[in-house]
Amino acid sequence: MGRGYRSEDALPQDDRRRRFELLALPHLDAAYNLARWLAGNTTDAEDVVQDAYLRAYRYFDAFQGGNFRVWLLTIVRNAFMTWVKENRSGRMVFVPDTPLAESADTEEAAWGSKPRDPEALLMDSIDSQTLSRLMEKLPSDYREVLLLREVEDLSYKEIADVTGTPMGTVMSRLSRARLALRKLWLEHAELENADGM
Amino acid sequence: MECDRAAGMLSPLVDSALGPFTRWRVRRHVAGCTDCADKLEELRAMQSAIRTKLTFHRAPPGLAARIGAALPREAAPAPSRPWFRMPAFSFGSTGLAGALAGVVLTLLVVGGQPQSDLLQDVIGSHIRSLQADHLTDVLTSDQHTVKPWLSARLDVSPAVKELKDQGFPLVGGREDYVDGHPAAVVVYRHDKHVINLFAWASPGRPEEAFRDESRQGFNIVTWRRGGITYYAVSDVEADQLADFAKLVAEGT
Repeated sequence: MGRGYRSEDALPQDDRRRRFELLALPHLDAAYNLARWLAGNTTDAEDVVQDAYLRAYRYFDAFQGGNFRVWLLTIVRNAFMTWVKENRSGRMVFVPDTPLAESADTEEAAWGSKPRDPEALLMDSIDSQTLSRLMEKLPSDYREVLLLREVEDLSYKEIADVTGTPMGTVMSRLSRARLALRKLWLEHAELENADGM
Repeated sequence: MECDRAAGMLSPLVDSALGPFTRWRVRRHVAGCTDCADKLEELRAMQSAIRTKLTFHRAPPGLAARIGAALPREAAPAPSRPWFRMPAFSFGSTGLAGALAGVVLTLLVVGGQPQSDLLQDVIGSHIRSLQADHLTDVLTSDQHTVKPWLSARLDVSPAVKELKDQGFPLVGGREDYVDGHPAAVVVYRHDKHVINLFAWASPGRPEEAFRDESRQGFNIVTWRRGGITYYAVSDVEADQLADFAKLVAEGT
């Protein structure tokens, strides 16, 4: 190439901020969406994201390359956890695991019984508003893995990195999360049916 | 494999997270078990419902500016304490307009003198294309539309290929500027990632083999062939971008 590349080291110090903005701002929507789903409202979500971005900037030099979005989402999640400790102490936000999973002796049993109307099972017909409401009802660690998996499209390994949990736990938690959402959906569908009659 | 074991494997199957052998065993079980086949179908329907219907909360306008205002002006010193024990930050609402200008300007000034270089330019353009709803001027997955569209506007006729079967569907094309000159950009996707393929005419310059570079979290592969310089930029993994570059260059 006629024009040589410059190494990272050669970038002037005042480029640090610009580099950070170039890298971090495109992920603002992803960061905010995660924070919004975790915190449950816009004001708190904004605080969490702002805090996360300041932290990310401060620790920017520690970013070793790799997937910046995963790195940033990890920080958003940590910022949220800190925020929970500081603002919602005494209020249980993260439920470690639901009785649904613990009471089930087998994987089969975890699925629960089949509903009377098999058509009710398929979520094809769910509308956006209902789905979002059901998601809000989920324990937040379930909601979190579902978001990271389905919305952010992260791999199990990446989810394990973001949440600081082993891969095996990510796998079983996702499985439980889906069953929990399915259960909520079935309950909702049966209520709707009862109302309709 | 029994139902009980298979039932716990359906979720990772949906996520393509099983090894080949387990995947094969679960699939074989599902093929012969209506009960598990129903469950699998349910999980797939749920996955697609979440992916397509769940509310996505976009960052409110002004949040970027507020963050910009809160970022320290000077280069931050190395932290002396772990961040998780940092005291709470306070955010003032001062200098909102200035902050806005700061954020926007720093984004747009990429490539400005004297700190610019080609790579910086290409990355800046890549990022802007992701931000500003300006990914494509011509939005089509038809290579026979994209190529003439680009050729008609620019003095370059870059390779445009449909690579959907190889996992890189064509999204469209765009006219952009790199290093002060117009460049054709062919846009592809890989999963949810965008790949911008920049191309401009370099008549008389020697051919160049593939070259990888990584900067600011983006991977770049460059090469020159047939008097055209190519820069592929994306946040996909370096290996995948290298595969992509080979596919594009093949036969050109």
